[in-house]
Amino acid sequence: MTLIYRAIVLFILLLVVACQFREKDFWKQTTAALVIIPLVLRLLMIK
Amino acid sequence: MKIKGTPLTALLLLALALSVSALAATEFKSMWTDDLFVPAPGFEKHMLSEWFDGLKGTPADNPVYIQKGEEPGGTVLILGGTHPTEPAGMMAAVLFLERAKVSRGRLIIIPQTNIMGYSHTSPQEAHPRSISFTTADGGKRTFRFGSRLTNTLYEWPAPDIYIHPASGQQLPGKERGNINRCYPGIPDGSPTEQMAYGITQLILKEKPDLSFDLHEASPEYPVVNAIVAHERSMELAAMTVMDLEDMGIAMRLEPSPKNLRGLTHREWGDYTETMPILMETGNPVQGRLRGRTDEKLALTGVDKAYVVASALGRLYIPYDGKQTIEYRAGRHTTSILAFLDNLDLLFDDKGVSVEGVPNLAELEEKGLGFFLSPAGR
Repeated sequence: MTLIYRAIVLFILLLVVACQFREKDFWKQTTAALVIIPLVLRLLMIK
Repeated sequence: MKIKGTPLTALLLLALALSVSALAATEFKSMWTDDLFVPAPGFEKHMLSEWFDGLKGTPADNPVYIQKGEEPGGTVLILGGTHPTEPAGMMAAVLFLERAKVSRGRLIIIPQTNIMGYSHTSPQEAHPRSISFTTADGGKRTFRFGSRLTNTLYEWPAPDIYIHPASGQQLPGKERGNINRCYPGIPDGSPTEQMAYGITQLILKEKPDLSFDLHEASPEYPVVNAIVAHERSMELAAMTVMDLEDMGIAMRLEPSPKNLRGLTHREWGDYTETMPILMETGNPVQGRLRGRTDEKLALTGVDKAYVVASALGRLYIPYDGKQTIEYRAGRHTTSILAFLDNLDLLFDDKGVSVEGVPNLAELEEKGLGFFLSPAGR
């Protein structure tokens, strides 16, 4: 179950990163960067 | 202010996010290292998986320390750290672990009962990550200040509603990570339920005559400076409360509610033959009225909002502007020592004699750190 959960987190993380690179507004890119932090920590099962 | 975003800015922001993640990871992982305990001579270290092998190799496997006296007698179990946000309970157990010399009977100690709660702090509580004490030789001993609940790395996903397996009692889902709602536990349950099951198995097999679960509560909570006793523990607890009153230590005596399930004072009494005792001291660091929440508050209990609350008569403890960990842990150690005296009086063959553990007056005079072993011993 944990592997499935981590796969879902990885999928969402990649979507956020893709959106960040497509985004033309710097502040929305910044928002994406903020969202990335907890996703990375959860993907690595640190928090 | 509109700023154009480009792939380069995205890349820079991604690098920044990863850097912040790395920094945060370092901070979080700093709580994954086990605390150091220096057991007094005579203690043997065991693991909880010796009583329930389902815990072997899991984060729920927890050190259990046992010291046997030369003379036969009873057995006493002391649990600290059921809730890692209640440090006086853990420190009282640590004082027994590092100072006790058992001459009669047997003493079993688990200093950090919910060890899976010590590897993180509670979200949005701003709690400190650790508390430190200066030892008699000028050294420093540090212990983690964790969360009331098991780390969600181990105990997830939380159900919407936690249904206590033995009773069907319904609680908020997160309470499945609270070991003091999971007793007697189940062998194939969640990590916290399995750990509770392991402790129940320990009690069933080692047959402690008297078992303590040491806690703290917020000063505005009615069950504070209190002993909660199961029906079978009530006579012993009543004797001890009278002795404590004689010593100038005011203590409430509360009967264990029969319809509040999953707690030590109820389930240990119903599912095993031990006499369970839960004890609470007053701890402003847990209260909802508190201001700045840091190590100093955890150690001293100094908080101006509680002075006001006390003046308004809103607290259930006498509060003179502080509630030091020496006072809080000292209430626990003194109460346990009084219980041991009365255990010997009531049940001649079940006595447990322990020397070397500081009482409230000694802790307040010399400080808690004075009684901790130097870390390098």
